[in-house]
Amino acid sequence: MSVYKHIYRAYAGKVTPVWTRVFVLARYGFAEAWSSKITIGLFTLCLLPPIVFLIGIYLANNPIARTLIGGRGPQGLAINARFFLNVLATQSWLALPLASWIAPQLITFDLADNALPILLSHPISRFGYVLGKFIALFASLSVVTWVPCLLLFAYQSYSSPLPWAAANLQIAAGLLAGTVIWIAFLSILGLAVSSWVKWRVAATGAIFAAVFIPAGVGGIITGVLRTRWGFLLNVPFMMTSLWQRLLGDPESARAIFYLPTGAIAATLVLTCFICAVMLNSRIRACEVVRG
Amino acid sequence: MIDLNGLEVRLGNRIVLDGLTGSLQGQAIGLLGPNGAGKSTLINTLLGFHPPSKGTASVFGLDCHRDRAEVRGGIGYMPENDSFIGNMSGVRFVRYMAELAGLSVGEALERAHEALFYVGLGEVRYRRVNTYSLGMKQLVKLAQALAQGPRLLILDEPTNGLDPIARQRMIQLIKEIRQQGSVRLLISSHLLRDIDETCDEVLILKDGRIAALCNIEEERRSNRSFMELETVGATEKFSVSIRGLGCECACFPGGRIKLVIPAHIEARDLYVIASEQGVQIRRMNRRRDSLEDIFLRAMENESGRMAHVSL
Repeated sequence: MSVYKHIYRAYAGKVTPVWTRVFVLARYGFAEAWSSKITIGLFTLCLLPPIVFLIGIYLANNPIARTLIGGRGPQGLAINARFFLNVLATQSWLALPLASWIAPQLITFDLADNALPILLSHPISRFGYVLGKFIALFASLSVVTWVPCLLLFAYQSYSSPLPWAAANLQIAAGLLAGTVIWIAFLSILGLAVSSWVKWRVAATGAIFAAVFIPAGVGGIITGVLRTRWGFLLNVPFMMTSLWQRLLGDPESARAIFYLPTGAIAATLVLTCFICAVMLNSRIRACEVVRG
Repeated sequence: MIDLNGLEVRLGNRIVLDGLTGSLQGQAIGLLGPNGAGKSTLINTLLGFHPPSKGTASVFGLDCHRDRAEVRGGIGYMPENDSFIGNMSGVRFVRYMAELAGLSVGEALERAHEALFYVGLGEVRYRRVNTYSLGMKQLVKLAQALAQGPRLLILDEPTNGLDPIARQRMIQLIKEIRQQGSVRLLISSHLLRDIDETCDEVLILKDGRIAALCNIEEERRSNRSFMELETVGATEKFSVSIRGLGCECACFPGGRIKLVIPAHIEARDLYVIASEQGVQIRRMNRRRDSLEDIFLRAMENESGRMAHVSL
C-alpha cells in the first residue's frame, strides 16, 4: 500500500517472535490505563503516604531534626517491622482503588466493543491475552506498592547509623513477597470480575464488593458458628496475618483467631483458581451456544 | 490453499460441521449457505477457535488447530459483527492489530496509515472508532485485516449493513485486492450478488455439509451454449434444421425456441439457416447460468451430499 498511490502492497518484512505479542497487549493496556486522569489522580494519592513515611524515617535517624520539631524520643519513631507493616498495609490498601479503576479499563472495554474476535484472530492465545492484561495491571500496581516500599527500606538502610539492613533483610523480603502476593491476587481478581461486568463503573464497584462482602459473610459465619474459619473469607484479616508473618512482626490478633499459613495460602490459591475459571469462560473469541 | 479432510465440528452435542471434505484453491472463494449452515463455524475453525471433533482442516498446509498461531499469522480476519476498540483512534486501533500480527512498531504505524488511506478512511484516521458510521466501521475492520499483509483474507459478511454506495466501494476494494494477486480471499456472504461479483470459486454449505463446491467461471463457461430465440415464420421447420446441426432444442408457442448449441456452432450458423428458410429471428438471448441457479440447485439437493454442480 502507499498513501499517495492508494494501492495494496503485501507485507514482506520481518515479523516479531510470537512470545513478544503478550508484551504488545501489556504495553497497550498500560498506556490505556494511564491515559485516564483519574488514574493519575489515584496514583498521586498513593504516593502521598510514602512521603509521610519518608519524613518519619528521616526524623527517626536524625536526632537534631527531631529536637528541632520538639519530637518524642527514639522509641516513638522506631523503624522496625511494625513500621514497615504499616507502610505495606497502607500501600497495599491504596492499591485496591487503583486496581478497581484500572482493571475494568483493560478488560471491560474489549468485551463491551466485542473486540475479542479481532484480537484473538491474531497469533495470540487466550492465555496470552489474559497474561498481557495481567502484566499491565501488575506493573501499574507495582509502582505504588513494592517499589515505594523497597525504596523506603533502602532509604532507611542508608540513613541508619547502625548496620541496620543486614539485620533486617527479612523485612525487605517480606515487603517484596507480601506486596507481590497481594497485587497478583488483586490483578487476577480484578480481571476476572471485570470480565463478567460490561459496565465499567459497576465493575469497579464489583471488585470492591468481591473483597469486602465475603469479609462480612466470614464475620457472620465466625460469630454464628463460633469458628475461626470464617476469617478465611475475610481478605483484609488474612492478608494482615500473612504480612505480619512475612515481616516477622508479632501478631496482634487473639490466638483463637489464628489462621494457619497453609490455610491462608490455600484460600488465596483457590480464589485465583476460581478467577481463572471465570476468565476462561468469558475470554473467548466467539460465544458458543451449545445445543 | 484450504484443505478439509472429513472435518467435523461439534458444539456440545450438536454437529455443526459434518464431514466436510474438499480442497479450495481459488483466488477468491465464496462461502454461501442459509443461516445455520455452518459458514461462521467453518471460519472460526479455520482460525483455530473451534477444535475439530473429527478430521482436519488446514490452511497453507498447516493444521488449523495444532498450528493455529502460525495459521493466524497469515490470516487477516474481518468479522461479521462490530468488533473494535471504540475509544481508540482508527490509526491506533489498526496499528495495535498490526503489532499483534507481528509487525514492528514502526512498520505497524506506517502500514496502519497506508491501510486506512487505502480503504478510504485517511481523513478520519485520528477520530475515535466509536464515532464512525456503520460503513466506516466495516472499512476500519477491513483496514486492520489488510495492515498486516496477510496471505489469506477472511471477510465475514463484508457488505453487511452498507448502503448501495458503500457496498459498491467495498466490492470494488475486494476486486482490487483480488486483482493484485498476493492475497487469497475467503468471503462469506448471504448476498449472492456479492459473491458473484468478487469470487471465482464457491463453497455452498447446507446443514453443516458441503452442498456444492464449484468454480464459478467454469460453470459459466460450460453453460454458454444455452440460448433462447424468438422467431417469426416456419418455426417447426427451422427447429428441425438446427437439430440437424447437432443442437438440442425445444419449441414453445409464439415462435419461442430454447436450444443448447454445441461448441462448434456459432450464432452466425443459425442466422444462415433462418435466412435460407425465410425465418426471422426477432430476439436472441444467450443466458448465462447465474450463481443463484447454482445456489438454488444445491439447496434443492435434499440429501445434502456434496455435488459438483453441472447443468
